[in-house]
Amino acid sequence: MLSDSLIKKLEDAAGKYPCRKSALLPALEMAQAANGNLLDRGDVAEVAQQLGTTTSQAWGVATYYTMFNTSPVGKWHLQVDTNVPGMLAGADAIVDRIRKRLGIEPGQTTPDGMFTLSIVEDLGSCGTCPVIQVNDTYYENMTPAKVDRLLESLKGGVMPPRRDAGAWGSECGILLKNRGNRKARSIKGYKAGGGYAALEKARGMNPGDIVEMVKQATVKGRGGAGFPAGMKWGFLPKDDPRPVYLICNADEGEPGTFKDRQIMEYDPHLLIEGIAIAARAIKAAKAFIYIRGEFGWIADILDKAVAEAGKAGLLRECGIVVHRGAGSYECGEETALIESLEGKRGVPRIKPPFPANVGLYGCPTIVNNVETLAVIPFIVQNGAEAFKAIGSPANFGPKLFGVSGHVNRPGVYEYPLGTPLMEIIEAAGGVKGNLKGVIVGGLSVPILTADEAKSLKMDFDSCAAAGTMLGSGGVMVINDSASIPKIALRAIRFYAHESCGQCTPCREGSAVIARLLGGLVRGTGTTKDIDTVLHMCDTIMGTTLCPTGDAFSMPIRAMVRKFRSEFEALVK
Amino acid sequence: MFVTFNGKKFPVAEGRTVLEAARDNGLFIPSLCYHPKTGPAGKCRACVVEIEGMRGLQTSCTIPAKDGMAVTTNSPKVLAAQRLVVDLMLSSGQHDCLSCEQNGSCELQNAAYFLGIERPSFRVDSEPDFDESSEFIYRDHEKCIQCGRCVAGCNNTVVNEVLDFGWRGHNTKVICDDDLPMGTSSCVQCGECVQLCPTGSIIDKRSRGQARSWEVEKVETVCPYCGVGCRIALHVDRKTNRIVRATGVEDAPTNQGMLCVKGRFAFDFVASTERLTTPLIRENGNFREASWEEAYSLISSKLGEIKTKHGADSIGGFCSAKCTNEENYLFQKFMRAVIGTNNVDHCARL
Amino acid sequence: MAGLAASFGSGAMTNDIAGIKNADVILVIGSDTTSAHPVIAARIKQAVRFGKTKLIVIDPKKIRLADYATIYAAQRCGTDVAVLNGIMHVIIKNNWHDAAYVEERCEGFEDLKKEVEKYTPGYVEKISGIPAAQIEEIAELFGKAPTAALFYAMGITQHTTGVDNVWSTANLQMLCGNLGKSGGGVNPLRGQSNVQGACDMGGLPNVFPAYQKVDDPAIREKFENAWKVKLPEKPGLTVTTMIQAAHEGKIKAFYIMGENPMISDPDLTHAEESLKHVDFIVVQDMFLTETAALADVVLPATAYAEKEGTFSNTERRVQLLKKAVEPPAGTRHDWEIIRDLAGSMGAAGWDYSRSEDILRELVTLAPSYGGITYERLGRNGLHWPCPTKEHPGTPVLHVGKFSRGKGLMKAIPFKEPAELPDAEYPLIMSSGRVLEQFHTGTMSRKTEGLNRLAGPMVMMSVEDAEALGIANSEKVRVTTRRGSIVTNAFVTKRIGRGTIFLPFHYAEAPANRLTIAALDPVAKIPEYKVCAARIDKI
Repeated sequence: MLSDSLIKKLEDAAGKYPCRKSALLPALEMAQAANGNLLDRGDVAEVAQQLGTTTSQAWGVATYYTMFNTSPVGKWHLQVDTNVPGMLAGADAIVDRIRKRLGIEPGQTTPDGMFTLSIVEDLGSCGTCPVIQVNDTYYENMTPAKVDRLLESLKGGVMPPRRDAGAWGSECGILLKNRGNRKARSIKGYKAGGGYAALEKARGMNPGDIVEMVKQATVKGRGGAGFPAGMKWGFLPKDDPRPVYLICNADEGEPGTFKDRQIMEYDPHLLIEGIAIAARAIKAAKAFIYIRGEFGWIADILDKAVAEAGKAGLLRECGIVVHRGAGSYECGEETALIESLEGKRGVPRIKPPFPANVGLYGCPTIVNNVETLAVIPFIVQNGAEAFKAIGSPANFGPKLFGVSGHVNRPGVYEYPLGTPLMEIIEAAGGVKGNLKGVIVGGLSVPILTADEAKSLKMDFDSCAAAGTMLGSGGVMVINDSASIPKIALRAIRFYAHESCGQCTPCREGSAVIARLLGGLVRGTGTTKDIDTVLHMCDTIMGTTLCPTGDAFSMPIRAMVRKFRSEFEALVK
Repeated sequence: MFVTFNGKKFPVAEGRTVLEAARDNGLFIPSLCYHPKTGPAGKCRACVVEIEGMRGLQTSCTIPAKDGMAVTTNSPKVLAAQRLVVDLMLSSGQHDCLSCEQNGSCELQNAAYFLGIERPSFRVDSEPDFDESSEFIYRDHEKCIQCGRCVAGCNNTVVNEVLDFGWRGHNTKVICDDDLPMGTSSCVQCGECVQLCPTGSIIDKRSRGQARSWEVEKVETVCPYCGVGCRIALHVDRKTNRIVRATGVEDAPTNQGMLCVKGRFAFDFVASTERLTTPLIRENGNFREASWEEAYSLISSKLGEIKTKHGADSIGGFCSAKCTNEENYLFQKFMRAVIGTNNVDHCARL
Repeated sequence: MAGLAASFGSGAMTNDIAGIKNADVILVIGSDTTSAHPVIAARIKQAVRFGKTKLIVIDPKKIRLADYATIYAAQRCGTDVAVLNGIMHVIIKNNWHDAAYVEERCEGFEDLKKEVEKYTPGYVEKISGIPAAQIEEIAELFGKAPTAALFYAMGITQHTTGVDNVWSTANLQMLCGNLGKSGGGVNPLRGQSNVQGACDMGGLPNVFPAYQKVDDPAIREKFENAWKVKLPEKPGLTVTTMIQAAHEGKIKAFYIMGENPMISDPDLTHAEESLKHVDFIVVQDMFLTETAALADVVLPATAYAEKEGTFSNTERRVQLLKKAVEPPAGTRHDWEIIRDLAGSMGAAGWDYSRSEDILRELVTLAPSYGGITYERLGRNGLHWPCPTKEHPGTPVLHVGKFSRGKGLMKAIPFKEPAELPDAEYPLIMSSGRVLEQFHTGTMSRKTEGLNRLAGPMVMMSVEDAEALGIANSEKVRVTTRRGSIVTNAFVTKRIGRGTIFLPFHYAEAPANRLTIAALDPVAKIPEYKVCAARIDKI
């Protein structure tokens, strides 16, 4: 039974959205929190009724997202991210330590009900891994020794405070200009550094002129696909009676990527200013920040900043709702994100129609990445030409690069597009050991061998020319101590886990590839299996409903093709 | 307008998708998630084709056919993709056709046949996973290909809102309410999901083992229950003269293929052993069997007698809301013209 | 149907099923649509979930359809006239009615207006228990809708005020100008596969086929010429009055085709006595029904799947039945039996050799069926009126003008049901159907699965169950002034305190042992929906 106070909270949440069903994810989260971190079936049915959805849809949602527990977990839920960046940083040793210390396997709970150990997918902490998420709190840069101390503390009932962590550097001083300035997190501090001047200026401009300016600047989308933001805005239908929605995609989940959180956590008003300007440009009725649910504390920071900005009268034209996801990589895809924001399972829609025409609640919708929106104030303030002065031809502006893996100083580095990869890796302290390969744009892009990486320039076109993609700018550096087949296996297990399940090649194909690679790594595979994997990747490319099929077939295929000898060496 | 399929021009009606255009012209493109009623879903990916001027493969179920379009359905690239998709479906779960109710009318089997897939390439053994908790509907999760037609039908057609997808990825499963067995869920057993399932995953529980799909003849008639007049197809096994299952007629204007639990499943009375097969005459308080001639002659003499003695209005007739128009017409004509009374009514009021 | 026939000149569902989606608002009153007409309920739900339609449900039970409604209101059983008058009161007061339509197409508005004046929401609340504010809300949503449809079933008709209730629904729809257009209409949902057809075919004591009056000499002459026989002038008795007449010894013989009054009639104890009074009963049926068990001669008939012929559905669509299986040896079609009997009683010219021959004759006598042939019916059938071979059929009635000319609005005062609860029988009992069974159970109860899903029960409120100390599924005794049965308690939040509901399908626990044989004075329909009852723990 939901308590009256919970129903009230739920109603408050529902009231924030144009459509009540959108509150399903937050409502389930509240019901789970109020019930000792477990979703009760009766509660789910009640929530469904309260929000006007069906029990099966609510249960379908509850079982879709990883942050909802439909079976009991211990008081302390230890969630270790063992995805590729974590793996490269020693996450498996962290898991081993916990197993030994607590005597449980992943998926199990200690007999006293105190601890549950889970292996989870990328937590967006690639520069600060290994990471353990205990309930909602991140403990980063973990070592086996730190694990011991953490467990001792938790056994005593005390959650240690989480620490700000992570290295950074900025060549451009635009996106990370306030990274070292704690005061900028408040509106006062942000304004003191010249913040909200761009919004002020934008308010004096015609919406159409802002769109034109952003078009001129040619801001290629920073989320991964690289589609120019201004052009996207231009696709909105003219003179349409439906409201327009703006969604900031803050579902940062591509393994290797941990850049958007830098902006949101350390300079929230920069993002809010960017959203406010974009909202004015496209005449949005409402804006949403869809932030991945694991970034709970960052969502709180954003909530606070939105409230401040609202109080300061900066959001009169368009309110902003901070919406928390609940654990799904797929929701980073814009149509899946929209479905999720509507309170549904995060499954992508068929395109066309594109969101600019039929998006959130069937209305014209623009979805832009955090980093994309965060450069808008700079453009409005300084003009398109100033933006285009940064970077390389046709690839303009500053870019955040998250560097993880085998480097000495993993972190986030702001460089102009077109900066040589090696310069960025050097900024991150240089390669630890001998370079074997680099994945330059998040896990979904084809790996480069050390040779291929050497002269690469980090921009959209150069990466494409090198047979890979700039993607989200998540650079994973791999030295010769790492096994590419193991990385490939870990990668495909991730995609199989995250596949939404609606289309066959992705749902079943990822599972089959995972099985074949698993066999190879275990030593039971055959040469034919290697060829089958390649054939499957070739065939799945372009056959799935959304880009996820490509997102795993491209990198797996590249790993097998470029490092085939390592795979063949596993055949006995 | 005209669309070219594999180099040959075919006439196509306005407003059709590429898949529909192909089907209209008798061309086979494998497809599992599309159903005319639930519409294009673009999910199974079995219907991918190449279309001139469009990049990569396209799902033919989601692309509107346009005049002059050139579609290739038989290139090596298309067939490889279709084959992989169908092979993956066959590899997931347990698609054993031998005694499957859907054998012969299974859309997955048809696709496999068309693509020449003899056996699945990636099969691993799996535990049986079925749900027989419902009175009339049998669910075999191992034969589910997640096409979503049942979910769409349950939510969008009959709007009973019981089914949905639960879990995700390879574990995706069609659930009833909060993943209850169907028999204890809020399902009202209308059987829309049975009608829409392309494989043997959701089937009429009681028709199992009754007759192979190719042994039955479908006869379209009208449901005998309420007054909606749903058009219903009775699947008849001619060898045994039995109705083995019933389905709704998809293009019927009354019911769009929908039926309720009674219309779809409650035809047992037709073949009931309790059916009367000979006239009965009461004698000394008990019934005895009689010939039709004897019964007719008794009735006509008794009714004639009563009419003579007490007048025609001492006889009352009840015609029937379950009989045909022709029978009711004849009954009232009988009462009025032969007996000579207007004492004729039926249970319209009851 | 009498109410509709009097107000519009034609008593049938005015609109078609396909047009449901065109309604801006649908009012469902006195129909548990998902149980009794599941596929029409599906159409309504589709319109609500995916179209523009808003739904209002008024029913003493919180029926499943109420879960899809914008407004759900529970009235006390038998107060529909007051509720509808109250809605009309608010609509007229706020000028939400279609004055131009009323002026042009209807008569009697002033009488109606005067009558509903006293039905203020407050007054209606006192009578019906529906909060005044809710009456206002319903009136606003319904009254302001560009097109609104009204659906009802036996919850409206099975009252001593059944005709009044029907007339009130007609008043409301005329007032709002909702007749004669797609998405509107007064839509009585017919409960049996061919109840519409049985009426159309003159299976009624006062009319020949196509509602041609037996007491109209010109009409009678037409039939006498066609049938070559002298016909009776006086309208006959209805089912209910025939049963009464039998009790009084005035009916000496019954000829019953495919009906089972021993389950379906009210006050079964009385009905059984009546049938036992009768000298001679013939029953033709598929089964030895409870009624057939009382007969002198029983004739084995065929099932729907074994014959050819036509059914007319609730939206007046005439559809063709096809023979699917061979009938069991020894059985005969109902029409064959009647034909043969007529012959053996000396009637001439009854030489029909197949069902279609009968249709060919009847279409010459029933103008609204005039254009119908088996060939034309094809797969989709035709809506009557279909007077000529070229006529495409009529999905929506009363377009442009009513069958009778001007639609007649009538002042209908509220009257209480015949039997109200008192100290001895404190509960209001209503009866009706459940989804999983059908009518007298002759057909549906042969399917074991349905019996497992839905057995005899009495639906009662949580409050009443608690007060009586009754648990769910417990055996209880339900008693009225007519009799008493033992059945299972079904305790639910879906019914309000003080009201109980019993499905009538079960011979082993027949609800009609309890119902009252009080009749509507015009339609002679029994008040199945209201009587006073008591529940006792056993």
